[in-house]
Order: sequence, then C-alpha cells, then structure tokens
Amino acid sequence: MELTTTVNDETRVVEVDGTESAVDLVRDGLGLTGTKLVCGSGVCGACTMLVDGEPVLGCLTPATRLRDASVTTVEGIARRGGDDGGGDDLHPVQRAFAHHDGLQCGYCTPGFVVDAVAFHDRWRAEHGTDEPDRQAVAEALAGHLCRCGAYEGIYRAVAAACRGEHDAAGGSGEHVERVERVEAPAKVTGAAVYTTDVVRPGMLHAAIRRSDHAAGVVGPITFPDGVLGIDVLGEDRRVRWAGQPIAVVAAETQAEARRLARELAVPFTPEPFVIDPDEAARPGAPLVYATKADRKEAPTASEGAPMPAPWDGNVHGPSRAPFLGTLAKRRIRSARSEGRKGLVELEFHTAAQLHTAFEPHACVADWSDPQYLRVWLSTQGVAAMRLEIADHFDLDPTHVEVVAEHVGGGFGAKLGLTMEAVAAISLSRLSRRPVRLVLDRHEELTGTGNRPGSRSRVSLLVDDDTQAVRALTVDTDSHAGIAVGNSVAALAMFLYDRTPRLARDVDVVTNAPPGAPFRGPGGPTIAWALEQTVDETAHRFGRDPIELRAQWDGNPKRQALYRWASALPTWQGRPATGSQTGRYRRGVGVAAGNWMYFVDPDCEVVVRVEAGRLVVSTAVQDMGTGSRTVLARAVAGVFDVEPTAVDVRLGLANSGATHGPASGGSRTTVSLWSTAVDAATSLRARIGTDLAGAPDGVSATAKRGGDRGMRAVPVTMGGIQVGRGFSAAVHVSEVEVDTRTGKTRVLRVHGGIAVGRIHAPVLARSQCEGSVIQGIGLALYENQVLDPHTGLTLTANLEDYRIPQLGDTPEIDIHFHEDGWDRVPGGGVGLGEVATISPAASVGNAIFNATGWRPLTLPVRPDRLLEGLRAGGAR
Amino acid sequence: MSVTILTAYDQRPDGLDGLDGPDGTGEFAYRAGGTDLQERLRTTGATPHILDLTGVPGFAAVERTDDGTTLGAGVTVAALARDLAGDYPALALTAGGLATPQVRTAATIGGNLLQRTRCWYFRHPHTSCFKSGGDSCPARDGRHLYGNVFDTAPCVHPHPSSLAMALLTYAATVDTTQRDGLAVGEVLGDGSDPTRDHLLADDEVLTRVVLPPPAPGEQAAYFRSISRFEAEWPLVEAVVRVVRDDAGTVTSCGVAIGGVAPVPLRLAAVEALLTGSTLDDDTVARAAASAAQGANPLPETGYKVALVEATVREVLERVRG
Repeated sequence: MELTTTVNDETRVVEVDGTESAVDLVRDGLGLTGTKLVCGSGVCGACTMLVDGEPVLGCLTPATRLRDASVTTVEGIARRGGDDGGGDDLHPVQRAFAHHDGLQCGYCTPGFVVDAVAFHDRWRAEHGTDEPDRQAVAEALAGHLCRCGAYEGIYRAVAAACRGEHDAAGGSGEHVERVERVEAPAKVTGAAVYTTDVVRPGMLHAAIRRSDHAAGVVGPITFPDGVLGIDVLGEDRRVRWAGQPIAVVAAETQAEARRLARELAVPFTPEPFVIDPDEAARPGAPLVYATKADRKEAPTASEGAPMPAPWDGNVHGPSRAPFLGTLAKRRIRSARSEGRKGLVELEFHTAAQLHTAFEPHACVADWSDPQYLRVWLSTQGVAAMRLEIADHFDLDPTHVEVVAEHVGGGFGAKLGLTMEAVAAISLSRLSRRPVRLVLDRHEELTGTGNRPGSRSRVSLLVDDDTQAVRALTVDTDSHAGIAVGNSVAALAMFLYDRTPRLARDVDVVTNAPPGAPFRGPGGPTIAWALEQTVDETAHRFGRDPIELRAQWDGNPKRQALYRWASALPTWQGRPATGSQTGRYRRGVGVAAGNWMYFVDPDCEVVVRVEAGRLVVSTAVQDMGTGSRTVLARAVAGVFDVEPTAVDVRLGLANSGATHGPASGGSRTTVSLWSTAVDAATSLRARIGTDLAGAPDGVSATAKRGGDRGMRAVPVTMGGIQVGRGFSAAVHVSEVEVDTRTGKTRVLRVHGGIAVGRIHAPVLARSQCEGSVIQGIGLALYENQVLDPHTGLTLTANLEDYRIPQLGDTPEIDIHFHEDGWDRVPGGGVGLGEVATISPAASVGNAIFNATGWRPLTLPVRPDRLLEGLRAGGAR
Repeated sequence: MSVTILTAYDQRPDGLDGLDGPDGTGEFAYRAGGTDLQERLRTTGATPHILDLTGVPGFAAVERTDDGTTLGAGVTVAALARDLAGDYPALALTAGGLATPQVRTAATIGGNLLQRTRCWYFRHPHTSCFKSGGDSCPARDGRHLYGNVFDTAPCVHPHPSSLAMALLTYAATVDTTQRDGLAVGEVLGDGSDPTRDHLLADDEVLTRVVLPPPAPGEQAAYFRSISRFEAEWPLVEAVVRVVRDDAGTVTSCGVAIGGVAPVPLRLAAVEALLTGSTLDDDTVARAAASAAQGANPLPETGYKVALVEATVREVLERVRG
C-alpha cells in the first residue's frame, strides 16, 4: 500500500507491504541511512527516530505507523537546533557529543543523539540549565547500547548540553567548544557512510544459507533455475558447527534473497558431534577433525599462525612456554606434598565473549567492470584485505580497491578475509552486478567469532618468609570451538620476575562456532586467573596486593603505576577482606596488565597541499579507534594549525600510499603518528607554512620503518614487527555487592596506562574507558550460551547476550603514565590491548575483598554470586 | 508474496466489539504496538496477514467510573506508568519498571498480556518447541538459566507479562470481542497447554482491561531482580500493594511474583500473613520465606528459590517505607 509521511520536513510518498518496520522504510525506502539497524529487537536503540516528536524504535515500529506522521531522523536533527545563533545548524546535543567525545565507532551514535535531543529539550523546558544527574540520564537513555563503551563521554555530553554550554556554536560563555574526533560532525549528523549504507546502482542482495546441524556432510547443491548462488563449503563438504555457511544466494531484494536461502534444498547427512569440551576431550568422542588433512583446515583463533603442537583426538597441544620448566614443576610438586602455605593453586573458568560490533560484517562488491574490482568492506585492514582479495581471486592488486570510509567497530573480528567478502565478490563476478551481503544480528552473534572460553589451572609458589616467587605453572585449555592456536597461559611468561615457570596451552576443539582474536587475545583470560591467584597469595600472607606485585615486578613503567595506584584514596580506603556483614558490601580490587609492543614498519603516509588545504592520507581505516584524528593532529602539529584544518583521506585509492597498518594489535597509532610527522616535516621543509602559496598537489611521503636496533624478534610477519619492551596497565576497581539479590555494581574504576606519549588524549581516554566497560561486561554479564544437544547459539540476540548499559558505567578515572617510551619514534605505543587486560580481574578481586568469596568462574552473574555466598564461601 | 494489511478502523468504525479476523485462510496476526510481532517477523521472515488495531476508537482510552477504571487494550505501558501512578500505584510502578522508555511508549497493555514467550529456544529460528510447532521443550533438557522455579508445566520458560502480575493483585478482569469479565488467570491459563501463551481464540481480540475502583491510601512497591541497571527480563520480579489503617495495620493487600512460573503467581499465603500485621520484621521475614514454598527448581534455576524470597522481601521492605 502507499502511504504519505513527512520526513525531516519533506513530504514523501512511499510503498510499504505492511510487515516491514519504520527503519526499513527510512533506510531502504527513503535512502536515509543515518538511522542504523543493529539489534532488530528493540534493545539497543540505534534505530531511534522521532515520530511526532516522540522517540520511537525504528526496528519495532510498524512502517504503517508513519502514515501522516511527522518523522525526524538523525539527518533532520540539525535543523531543529539551528536557530540559536549557532551558525553551524547543529543541535546543542550534537555539538556536545563532538566536544566531549561521546562516541567512538559512531554506529550507535545516531540513536543516542536523537533520544538525547528529546531528553535535552524536555529537560531544558522543565529544569532550565540545571544539570541532570547520572541516574536521570541513564534512565532516559536506558534503551541504548554502545559496544565501544563511550558511555562516560555520553554522560559528559548530555550533562553539558543540559547545562547550556553548547547552546551556541563554538561554546556558550566561557566554554570553548572543540571537535576532538575530527569525523565527529559526520557521525553525529548521520552523514558518515558505513559499508552497510553503501548502495550501488543495479545492486543485488545476497543471503547466506547456514547449517542448523552441528556436523554432517553436504551433498551437491542445485540452485533453482534463475537463482544466482554459490556453494561456500570446503572440498570435504563437511559442516563442523551449527550456523556454518553452506551456500550464498543473491536476489533483487534482501527479503527475496533471505527467502531463497531459507528454501534452498540442501542434501544433508548428519554426523555425530560434540559440544561440551569435557566430553570432547574423552577417548571415543566424535572427532571434529578426523584426519591429518582435516586438521590443517582448522582456523586459528589468534592473530598469528598457530604454534606447531601435537594432536590427540580433539585435543591440540600442549604448546609449551618454559623457563626452567622442569624445576618449576618439581618445586611445586614438592611444595604440594609438604603442604606449604606459599603454594596457591586455583582453577578458573571463563565464558566465551562475543565481539558484537554494532556494524555487522558487511560487504558490497562491485565487479561490473571486469578490469577493476571495488569492494566496500567493514574491515580492520583495507591494505591487507586488498592483498588478500587479489591473492584469493588471482588479481593484480592494483586492480582491486578496498574502501572502508567508516567502520562500526571490529574488536578483532574483522581482521581477516571473511566469507561474506569472498561470497559477495564471487557473486558479483558471476552476475557482473554489484552485490551486497550484510549479516543480521543473529548471524553476527553466532558465527563471526568470540573470545574463547577457557579453563586455567594456576599454581603459584612463593617463599613462606619473603614471598619471593619460587615457581609458577599455568595450564590453560581454550574452548574456541573448531578453532585452534589459542595463546593464554603463554602470556604468564611476561610478568613478575624471571623465576622458574611453565606455561602450557591446549586447544580442545568442539563442534562449536570458531573463536577469533578479540582485543588483547588471551589477555583478559590470563589476567582473570593469574591476577586472582596473586591476590589470593597476598591475602594469605596478609600482604598489600599492590606492594606484593611491586616486589616482584621488573617493569619500571608498571612500578610507576603501582605508586600511583597505592596513593589513590579508593585504594587507601579499602576495607579488610571479609570484614563487612551488611547487605551491601563494598570492596576494592587491583589487577595488573601487560602487553607486547607491535609496529607496522611498512606503513606509508602522504601529506599534500590541495587548494591551499593540507591533506593527509594513507591506507588505513578508522573503527572508532581514532586514526583520522591521530593523522590530523600529527600534521597539524607540524604546521601549527588546528587539526580540523587538515583533511584526512583513508584508503589506498585516494592516498598514493602503498601500505597502511591494520587496526589491530595496538600497532596502528604507533605506526601512523611518527610517519605522518615525518611526511609533514619534509613537506614543511620544502614549502614552509604558506599553504595558500604552495603549488597545488605538492606532496611528501614518509615510511615508518622499524625501530633501529629495537626489534625483539628479527622478522616482520603480516605487517607486524615485535618491538622491544612491554606496555603496562594497572586497574583499581571498587564494587558494591548486593548480597540479597546477587547483583554486583562497579562503582569506580581507576585505570593507569603506561604506553608513553599520548597523541590524542581525549580519544585515548575514551578508548581506555571503553576497555573498562568491556571488562565489566566480561566480568559480570557476557556469556555465549550454546544448546548442548544441537550446538545452536541461544544467545544470538542482544536481549539474551547481555552487554553493559549506560547505567552500569562506573565513574572512570584514566591516568596516563607518559614516560618510558622515548626510544620509539613519537615517544608512545598503542593502548587498545593493554587497556583491556586487567579490568575484569580487578573486579573479581574487588568482589573477593567485598565478600570474602572468590569468584572463579566468569561471568559473576547473580546466580553464581548467590550460590557462592550460600555455599559458605564467605569468610 | 502478498501481504494484506487490514486496519480494524476500516472494518469496524465503531470500535473493537464484534471484530473478526480476516476472511479466508492463511496465517494472520493482530498488531497493536508491534514490539513483539515486528521482532518475530524479522527473525522468521514470516509474512502473515496483519490485522492492525491502532486507530480504533476507544482502543487507547482510559475511562474512570464509580465501578472502576476501564483501560482500552491499546493503552500504552508509558501511559499506565504516567497516568495511573496516583490511583493504581502497583500497576503504574510495574509498568514503569519494564523494558525501556521507547518500548514503553509503543507497547500496549493488551499486547503485554498476550505477547509470546521470550524463551531463547522459541525465538531461535532453527529450533522447534511446543510453542513453535514442535512436540517438546528443548529448554528442559537444555539450557534454562532463566526458566521456571515452580516447574508446573511442560514448557519451562516463565510467562513474560509483568503487567499480568500486577493485574492479579487487583483482581482485574479482561473483556474480549467475545466474552466479558474474564479473570487474568482465565486469559493466561495455567501453562498446562504448552503450545499457548494465552487462551484466547484465534478470532478473539482483547478489548479492555477493567480495574476495580482505586483503593484509597494504597501503597505499592515493585522490584525486578536483574543483573544489570535496567532493561532486562526479570530473573524474578515481585509487586505488592497494601492499604493500612491509621495504626499501620494492613487491612488489605495483594502480592504477586513473576519470572518464576508458567504464569505470574498471586501469593495468597503471603497476603494472609501480611493482612492484620504492621509489616514488622518478623512478619516480613516469614512472608518472604513463604513465597518460595513449593518451589521445585529445574537444574539451572535453583538460585531462584533464594531470589524469590529476596525479591518479595525487597518489595515488602520498600512498601513498609
């Protein structure tokens, strides 16, 4: 049926079929792609729009409700705020989001902005310029989620807008307004284009047919006449997990493609399978990989190739990292038989954590010109993807272009060449038409990766008198489904003295969806085990947990963080463990983090002058981690201009740079910054600072190169060189445990981060705050759940897969220790990983401090907490 | 595939009474706020005929008379929270405590009562269960962390309607296009037919909810035990309404819990303990303890036994002030 609606003050007549929702009408029918579809079930609020002035959910509101209504989408918000003498037309809330960096990847931002505008306008009408407290903001915006964890910035932005500080462009009164993240204006207005927003003329839509069985063999697939499809199974025709893609079909509309995929006949012979890791490890369990050849097909859950290790049934490993390992084992064995106080042995379990980037995996491939393949891809590595795509399709890389203008989060799950890209490209080659393939939330939460669950046994032996470390062994079984190559225990080699130790990592494969790298792969998992074991040791000997770590720790940067943490009032005011008896018990915990230093020495950056403006470009992408801003600030600093005076262009085709870093492994900023500074410095040496007088197109290029004499490992692999030294973090968390309902609230987190010089302080702080939020999710809420009988993912929606909300955000204080990296060009290294290692462990230790009960299993849900306290674990 | 949208307004300009489903055969669905249906349409790709009820005269009306208060089926959850806070605080607090502000703006009282189960098996596109055409409950032998603690029916997931729980404490009734004065229990049943979330016929539309006259001096409390700040289906939820005399003695009360059984439960034994008491510590403790009596948890829901007691205790202490 046809309906008339007014959208952003424009009358539109559109055709609807009646089952679709308002977000479908707005995005697909009207082409207003600022509004985003994320969860599709009314949980995340990304699709929020105003209908007759009321915020409504675009995904749950029937499209027919827009009939004769006045609709305002994020694209229409600016005009509503334009009459305040501002000049830039933005609503005060939009400017406040930009000023306070209330966003990272930006994919949830349109929904937050629209609802915050409604809240702001209501609040101002009732309360003038009084500031709303956090509770009021959290309740008003309870229907929104942000996976990057930009909640602190969102609180700051909404409060400042309500105080009236952003009523005029540039700031009101004494408040000077800045745009911290250079692309923030595009993100708060809905103008930023993500892969999911790309529409090409004549575009086909593709959908994936997935297996609903966990194991079996698929016969030949015959596509119905006239149906364009490809088979995406391997040569062995084998399905190994429920949700595995079998075939991909394309059609004129997404609904039609989904229907064709659903109805496709798939000859399937089920086979035995195993979901539970304990069962998988037993003799006689169904084998996930039956032959030696099969095992070579196992994907890796890590960023590098898996270490060679033996197989025994479904058990791959151990891969061993020893330092006087036999001695470590012998010391622990004899301490055990002697019943020594100094031996602390604990077993820890972690649940699989899903990345759930808010922009799903998405690809638009356009191979309609046989000589040139253009790929819009939601990826963490445009440069690497160009090479991988060229290799996969046997093309000259110069005939391939990979575009990722904005990326709605990745967290590690978008580093490789994933199946949706291969499928879309293949279908485009067959049809010679552009093909779009976008995963829905169910697919995204099932099969695009996870931080694997695990079991770790830790034995830590200290001297009974001095508490000097005598030995450490860590044995970790990782549960990455069909994937192998986990490295968790091995990360325990890099902390706390060079004492005898042995780390063993084992993969137990099952017919479950594959794990994938996730921010600091293995890091939060080992910290959960090791840092609690250290805490238990301190408790046993009545030692201050910070002071005990400081006694062992040879990292001078972390020593500085220990001094900072010890002096915090939060730490100094911590209660004695188990001393509290009331319903609500407060506790404070500490944990340390450690990460490697990586750099991409092949990174190139080009700086040029175009029409009197500085333009900096390289083959990088920005998933909210701030690469645009880092490049702009580097160049602006050399020319002594504002960062917003520098244009940033990302991607190969429009840069002239041959290579740029992936956004992963904390290698991006440290690769970009000094390279951009070098290029800008050499350009300035040529043209001075008179940009208007510079010849148009004059440019300079610089290449990062390695750190001279500073490699830890003398090879470069996959764009990564391992540099010397470790970055460091210390987190101090304060929690409040409600012993009646089992709910834990994190009240306050202090994060000390030692990565040297910070190149974009406001953005760096945002990212570290996001690490804390994700750590709280890992600690308290997030838990992939599979059906034990089918292997189907039950937590394939954001209702059942629970990520932190705005109201779960503690007060977060981020402290940067900027010394210690002077030998690295630019003076600082990456922080994406190191900031994410220790938050969850610090929460675990805080719960122990509060209750006397040590949570060994993640997440610490109310049921586990109640059971733990009930079972008399409390001291 | 063609889709028919029928609007009830076109069909029956006088209102919902006597409304029929669409002629002919095929799948069809009633739609009010759409907050449940639209999600299921997206997940399953189904394209049923839709009978959209919005816009019918009286659909969203609140009518107060001496005999009580009549709520049109289309009254939104947000309107309940806002407009009934003075007269019916137990219902208003419950309404204000569920879902998110945007969902409360759209969702209706009728839809809340008649929504489908939120079980993760039912909502999964590749499983089948009693409620989606299958002949078993895969959650029973599978994962049911959020399942019932009073395991009295073949399906193990609790009924999702928080408003039904609150309405039980008022002994509210429900009118449909075919019947008047149904108790909430008659609409939702007892879960013994695991294929259904409610017992209305396919061609029967819920039209009104009727509340008794407000109880002067009613005080109420609502609490939902969840893991996060807000916006989460309850592990256990409870609501209480009391009227006390000048001496602080409870003269009448209603207590109900949700998230625990095939349908929300009114707790007569708890009410009996409270009535005539001053909500002293001892009575509150005994009442809370009695709330969990008869619980027979599933393997993964043992924690809810303690949580039922804790949640009831919480609302009793809150209402005591």
